[in-house]
Amino acid sequence: MLEMINIAIKTIFIENMVFAFFLGMCSYLAISKNFNAAFGLGLAVIVVELVTIPLNWFLKTYFLEPGALAWLHPSFSAVDLSFLTFLVFIATIASSVQLVEMVVERFFPALYTALGIFLPLITVNCAILGGSLFMDERDYSFGESVFFALGAGIGWFLAIVLFAAVRQKVRYSNVVKPLRGLGLAFIITALLGIAFMGFAGIKL
Amino acid sequence: MMKKLTDSLWNFLQTKVKPHFTKGGKFENLFYLYEAIETFLFLPPEVTHDKPGTHVRDGMNLKRLMIHVVFALIPAMLFGIWNIGHQHYIALGEYVGLSEGLMDKFLVGLKVFLPILIVVMAVGGTIEVLFSVIRKHPVTEGFLVTGPLIALIVPPTIPLWMVAVATAFAVTFGKEIFGGTGMNIVNTALLARAFLFFAYPAHMSGDQVWIYLGEAADRVVDGFSGATPLAVAAEGGYQALKTFSYQSYGFWDMFFGWIPGSIGETSTLAILLGAALLLHTGVADWRIMAGMLLGGIFTAFLFNMFPANEYMALPWYYHLVMGGFAFGLVFMATDPVTSASTFTGKWIYGFIIGVVALIIRVLNPAYPEGVMLAILLGNVTAPLIDHLVIKSYISRRERQVSAIVPSPKTQEPVKESSHA
Repeated sequence: MLEMINIAIKTIFIENMVFAFFLGMCSYLAISKNFNAAFGLGLAVIVVELVTIPLNWFLKTYFLEPGALAWLHPSFSAVDLSFLTFLVFIATIASSVQLVEMVVERFFPALYTALGIFLPLITVNCAILGGSLFMDERDYSFGESVFFALGAGIGWFLAIVLFAAVRQKVRYSNVVKPLRGLGLAFIITALLGIAFMGFAGIKL
Repeated sequence: MMKKLTDSLWNFLQTKVKPHFTKGGKFENLFYLYEAIETFLFLPPEVTHDKPGTHVRDGMNLKRLMIHVVFALIPAMLFGIWNIGHQHYIALGEYVGLSEGLMDKFLVGLKVFLPILIVVMAVGGTIEVLFSVIRKHPVTEGFLVTGPLIALIVPPTIPLWMVAVATAFAVTFGKEIFGGTGMNIVNTALLARAFLFFAYPAHMSGDQVWIYLGEAADRVVDGFSGATPLAVAAEGGYQALKTFSYQSYGFWDMFFGWIPGSIGETSTLAILLGAALLLHTGVADWRIMAGMLLGGIFTAFLFNMFPANEYMALPWYYHLVMGGFAFGLVFMATDPVTSASTFTGKWIYGFIIGVVALIIRVLNPAYPEGVMLAILLGNVTAPLIDHLVIKSYISRRERQVSAIVPSPKTQEPVKESSHA
């Protein structure tokens, strides 16, 4: 149990999806102008990570891995479907994002409008696919992958919320003209990354 | 006499110099350069008048606020200069006593510290003036504080070109592109140090960099080690500090500060003198200091309760006098620009810094010291803390108001116009 919590903490702070791997940058940069939208998108990413990573774990363990189909019939134990990994993972992600989108549209219409195109675009958020692929690459068990998903989602949420608050503050700054907007956003991300480097190297 | 001198200087500036810099003058583009000098020397001539309304009638403008911090830095700076020389001579086995060779130690210290300070001020000042002339915003004394701060948090052996590069990077990307003093999000001095730390780690950590040896490097006494208390404690905790071979690293040694370390951060006592001035004048907020102190003590205490290694068992009060904790607490975390600005937020902000500093220091084997990175982390969290504090305050007030004024439509936010 302690190990699993460690995995979650590690993924939030030490190997943060945004600051350590620079994954999911597109929506991170685009949605962070408004704090409430960033908050909502962060929550949506947590939900999607929590749904897709365990789901993909099932698919990986029982369908895709070499010999994973042995539970159907012993003669299938030589089948290796791992070349389908990307396709299947993306399909899982796309369908779960569709579900999340329907829920958000039904229950949080304001958030739905604020997020606009970026809600369906969570499908192609690298942090989501990255999460599933890390789960695959690091051979997590089911429990580990759940906690990893939680950590990855919270880490991304924390990153975008921090960033949105900073951008809100910077709105009052007299920023150099050519850098207004995205240019400054990249620089702020770098500063946040430096701040998070303090955790790099902690062994849990 | 003094009055006459200042009066004639003022008249000279106003009649002979200023016209060249105002609109239509020869150097109209350089107006803010002139303005910087004028406001540095004199209080602003405009005062708020005794009209109805509330005005703050006080000579405390931004420049005078900044200069208070510079004054507060002087004890740490003087001590740092002496300590460079002291460590130098200890390594050579000369003047080992504290009171011996005072002048010699000062001279060695000055020889090391002055070039660093001059390089920092020249590079940073040039960039600052360039930006303000091109972008037409006033030159502020922000750098007058940042400059000495940068010089005080580097090891004495740092090559000058590195200081120059780091200063240029921090002033440009940490401050000027955001619009200058008061608009940055991370502490400029700490950004310079973080830049050095990650770009040139060999010159920022280890046992070799903390003691200036100069040409005398081959005369070091046998068995001398330049390891800082942090490095020693990380190796073997309390026992190692007690029995460290050459110098003793007791609590009071570290409190008074005759230990190797970054130039200005070793003496907790000198820093406390500065802290007294900052607190007395209200430049630094005591809530941040208290929050960070509590956070640090709390975490160190937790480590003491459940020690997994020697370092975690180190008594909690040692952490307060080692490394950069005191310096960061007094001069870095309290930076009014980059810290949280709500009262509750300041407590939370300070507490987070204290906790993270101790976590990085004790649990992260990659970095011996965590205060710098913890404060940077605090800086970037500060806007979020403020946002949440303000939000919770607003919703609390809303609840109060709606309790007094029963509104038929409870879903709608209550307007401010009520008497609550």
